[in-house]
Amino acid sequence: MIRRILILLAPLCLPLAAQDGAQLYGLYCGACHGADGNGATGGQFPPLAGSPWVAGEEERAIRIVLHGLHGPVDVKGRTYNLEMPPQGAMLPDDQIAAILTHVRSSWGNASPAVKPDRVAAIRTAQKQRRTPWTAEELLRDFPLPLEKSALSQLISRSYEWSQPAMPDFAALQALNTEEEHDGLLDAADAPRKDHFAMTWEGFFTAPADGSYEFLLDADDGATLHLDGKMIVEITGIGPADGSRSKIGRIDLKAGSIPFRAAYYEVAGQEVISAAWRLKGEKGWHWLSREHTGIRPALEPIPIAPENGRPVLYRNFITGTTPRAIGVGFPAGINLAYSADHLAPEILWTGDFLDGTGKWLERGTNPSPPAGENVVKCSSSPALPAAARFRGYELDAAGNPTFISTLGQQIIRDHFEATSSTLTRRLSLNSGPPVRLLVSDAFAWELTDDQTGTLGPLELHIEGAATVSQGKPCILELAPGTVTLTYRWK
Amino acid sequence: MKSAARLIAASVIACTATADYLREEIPLPHGEVMEIGSIALMPDDRVAVATRRGDIWIVDGAHDDDLSQVRWRKFARNLHEPLGMFWQDGSLWVTQRPEVTRITDTDADGLADRFETICAEWQIQGDYHEYAFGSTPDKQGNIWVVLCLTGSFTSECPWRGWCVRITPEGEMIPTCPGIRSPGGIGFNPAGDCFYTDNQGVWNGSSSLKWLKPGSFQGNPTGNRWHELAGLPKPPEPADKSRIVTERERFPDLMPPAVIFPHGKVGQSPTAVIADESGGRFGPFTGQVLVGEQTHSQVQRVHLEKINGLYQGAVFHFLDGFQAGIVPMRLSPDGQLFIGGTNRGWASRGSKPFTFERVRWKGTTPFEILTMSATKNGFDLTFTTPVDAATAADPASYSMDAWTYIYQAEYGSPEVDQAKPVIRKASVSADGRRVSLEIDGLVRGHVHHLAAPGVKSTTGSPLVHAEAWYTLNEIPH
Repeated sequence: MIRRILILLAPLCLPLAAQDGAQLYGLYCGACHGADGNGATGGQFPPLAGSPWVAGEEERAIRIVLHGLHGPVDVKGRTYNLEMPPQGAMLPDDQIAAILTHVRSSWGNASPAVKPDRVAAIRTAQKQRRTPWTAEELLRDFPLPLEKSALSQLISRSYEWSQPAMPDFAALQALNTEEEHDGLLDAADAPRKDHFAMTWEGFFTAPADGSYEFLLDADDGATLHLDGKMIVEITGIGPADGSRSKIGRIDLKAGSIPFRAAYYEVAGQEVISAAWRLKGEKGWHWLSREHTGIRPALEPIPIAPENGRPVLYRNFITGTTPRAIGVGFPAGINLAYSADHLAPEILWTGDFLDGTGKWLERGTNPSPPAGENVVKCSSSPALPAAARFRGYELDAAGNPTFISTLGQQIIRDHFEATSSTLTRRLSLNSGPPVRLLVSDAFAWELTDDQTGTLGPLELHIEGAATVSQGKPCILELAPGTVTLTYRWK
Repeated sequence: MKSAARLIAASVIACTATADYLREEIPLPHGEVMEIGSIALMPDDRVAVATRRGDIWIVDGAHDDDLSQVRWRKFARNLHEPLGMFWQDGSLWVTQRPEVTRITDTDADGLADRFETICAEWQIQGDYHEYAFGSTPDKQGNIWVVLCLTGSFTSECPWRGWCVRITPEGEMIPTCPGIRSPGGIGFNPAGDCFYTDNQGVWNGSSSLKWLKPGSFQGNPTGNRWHELAGLPKPPEPADKSRIVTERERFPDLMPPAVIFPHGKVGQSPTAVIADESGGRFGPFTGQVLVGEQTHSQVQRVHLEKINGLYQGAVFHFLDGFQAGIVPMRLSPDGQLFIGGTNRGWASRGSKPFTFERVRWKGTTPFEILTMSATKNGFDLTFTTPVDAATAADPASYSMDAWTYIYQAEYGSPEVDQAKPVIRKASVSADGRRVSLEIDGLVRGHVHHLAAPGVKSTTGSPLVHAEAWYTLNEIPH
C-alpha cells in the first residue's frame, strides 16, 4: 500500500522543469508554420517569422492559440484561408507561454516573453468562447503594431460622387479637408459611407535609391501616384479581399517624393489598402489603416471538354443542390444536373466551370457557372418523391444519360448539344405516365404546334408526352420517348 | 577493426528509419495535379488512383523494378472528392462525397462510361468538410463508410457523424454513431472494421477505433439521427469526464482501440490497412498499418482482443514521405503504395502531392514486434533475438502513463499521469520474448514504453525504441 501511494505521488515530486518552447513548437506547431517559422510547404501556410500577428500585445496570439482562427487572414501581404485548430483544451498555460515566448523571440522576432499567468488570465476571461476567432474580431481588439508610415504632410479631401469610375476632381467641390497626422490612408475618414470619392496628397519618404513596389487594393476603385506619375490602379467596383489587388513598380531616388492617392466608393464596404516595399523585401510597409493582402493562385482553372468529348464534373455547383453534376459540351452549351431533384436545373452557354472554387485550399469558395446566358429552369424535385437517382451512362461520343427509377419504372434522361441547342431525350420503359417537372420558374407558352418559349429560352417538345401550359411546366411522360430541344433566343 | 566496422554499420541502421525498406517515388503524369485520395489494386499489376479533384487514373508498371517506365491513362474525370476505391468484378467501386458509385468501362475503350449510383442515402449540404471515407468490401461484400461531421463540429443533416454500411444491393445500414472527423477506414486480418478519428471535440487525442456494429464511437454530435432508423438512443456522455468512467455508465461506448498521442505519434492519422503479405513486406504480417498526414509517416499497430475489446500498441515505422499521407494499399506481393496531398492541411513532406511505393529490402529491422498486456505487465516480442543481458535489465526500460479528458472541448492535455515501475524483465530462451513485470498499471491509460537500453545480439539498439499501448482492459 505504501508503495502504491509513492508511485502515485511520484509525478508531483519531480522538479518543476521549465517548458522547452522550441521543442514544443516543433512538436505541435512546426508541421504547419514550419521549423524556420516561414510557413510549411514553401509558404503555403502562414509564416510566424516577421509576422506582426505574434508581435506587440500578446493577447492577440494567446487568443489564437487558445481558441483557433477561422477564415481569411492577411499575413505579411498575403491572404491565407485555412483553419487554425484550437489548442487551449490540449495545451496547459505554461506550454502555451513557452511556445509563444519561443515564437516571439525567434527568426528575427523580438517581442517580450509571455508568462503563464497571462495565458491563465486570458483563458479565464474568455472561458465562454466556444468558436475560433476571426481575423476581424482580433484586429478590432488588438490592431497589429504599425511601423511609422512613410507618408508625411498628408492631407485628405472627400467629395460627393456616385459613379463607378474615378472622377475629375478638378470639377468637384471638396466636402471635407483633413490633415492625417498618422500618415495613413483610411476611407473611414470620409464624412459619408457610400457614394463618395477621396484624394490624399503628401510626401513619400524613400529610404534608399532602388526599385520600389506599391501594393494597392480598394473597395471600390483607387490609384497611387508618385512624382506625378500613376503607379497602380484598381478600376470598376468590387471587394477589397485581395482578389483584385495589384502591384505597381517605380525606380526612386532616396528622399522625399510627392505622393497622391485617389479613391472612390459606390456602395457597401469602403476600404483602401496600400503598402510599399523595396524590391527583394519579403514583407510590406503599410500606408493605410486597412490591410488586405494578395490572394495567390486565383488564376482561373478552366474545366473544359477534352478531345471533343463533353466534360462531366461532380462537385458543389453554386445555384443547384449539393448533389450536382455539371455537363459541358464542346459546342459551348452547359448544364448543371441535380441528382437530388433529378433535373437539369441550370443551363448556360460559353465557359463551363472554374476549378478555383472547389479545387484550391479547402474548397470553400463558390463555384457558379463560368459562362453566360445562365437560366435557372427549376429548383424543386422533378419526379415523385419515391424516385431514386441510379447514375449515368456515357455514349460513344461521351454524351450523358441520367437514369432514375420509380419502382420498376426506369426514366432515362439523355443530353447532347449543338452550338445553339441542347437536346434532351426523355424515355420511360413501361407503366403509367410519370409526371416530370420541366420548369417551376417559367411557363411554356406555345408559339406554334410544338414550340414555345420557356422564359429566355425557346423549347420544342415532341413525342410521347402531354405538357401543361402555364407555370409550373409539367410533362406527363408516357412509355416511349419524348425529345425536348432548348434553344437560346 | 572488424567490430568497429560492424558498430558503424549498426549505427547507420539505427538512425535511418527506412534502412530495411526502400521508398521510391512513382513518376506522375506530367503537368497534372495528382492530389491522391484513393488507391485501388487491379488485376495484372495495374493500380488505379483517384485524385481529390476527382480524376481516376490507371497506371501500368507500378509493380516493376524500373519505375521510370510507368504508363498512365486517365479513366474518368472530375468525380466528387473520392476517398475510398477498390476493384471488383470488372468495376471500380468508389466512395465519393455524395454516394457510392460503381464505375465501369463497358466497351473496353479505356474510358469509364457507366457510373452506377449504388447508394446515395446519406445527406450533404455543400460544406467543405463533409468527407466520406469508404472501405474495401467486408466478407459479406458490404462497404463501410464513415461520414465526417459538418465542418467537423456539428451534424446538420443525416447521417453526419455516423458509420454506415452499404450492401452490394445499395441498402444503407446505419452502424455506429459517434464519429467526428475520420481520416481512413479498413479491416484488420480478422475482418473487423477500424477507422481513424482525429483529435478534436470529444477526441482527447487521435486514435484508431473499432467499428463494432451498434457501438458508440464517442462523439455525441450526430446522435439524433438514430430516430430516422428506429435505433436505440446513443449515449450522451458527461462532459469533462474520462472514457473509463463513462464506459461504466454506457456499455456501448467503444473506447479507442489504440490512442496515438498527439504530437508524439502523429497529428492526423489516415489510412488503415492490414499487412496480409505473408512476410513479403517484412516481419509484420498480421499487423495494421496507419497513415499519418501531418508527419508524413506510416505507423504500425499491434492489436489484441482482451475481455472482448480491441486494444494494443502503436509504433513508429516508416517516414520521410514527400507529402501528407492519405490512402495506402499493400499488394499481395508486398509492395506498399502510398498517396499523399497536403492541400488545406500542412505536412512535413513539402510537396503538394505524391505517389510513392515502399518495398522491403529483405533485411530484418531490430524492432519490438508485438506488445501484449498481461495481468501484471506487458510481454514484448522482437523481430530478432535480443541481447539477454541488456534485455533482462529493468533499467533498460522506462514507462509512463496518462489519459485524456473526455470532453466537448477541442482535444485534451495529457492528464492523470502515472509512473508504472518496471520490476523485472525476463528473457525467453530463444531471446525473442521479454516479459515485463510492472507495478502500477492503470486501466484506461496510454502506457508509453521506452526501451533505449535494449540491444540486439549484435549490439544494435532498437530502430524504434518506443511504443504507446492503450490499456482499455487488464487481462485477468
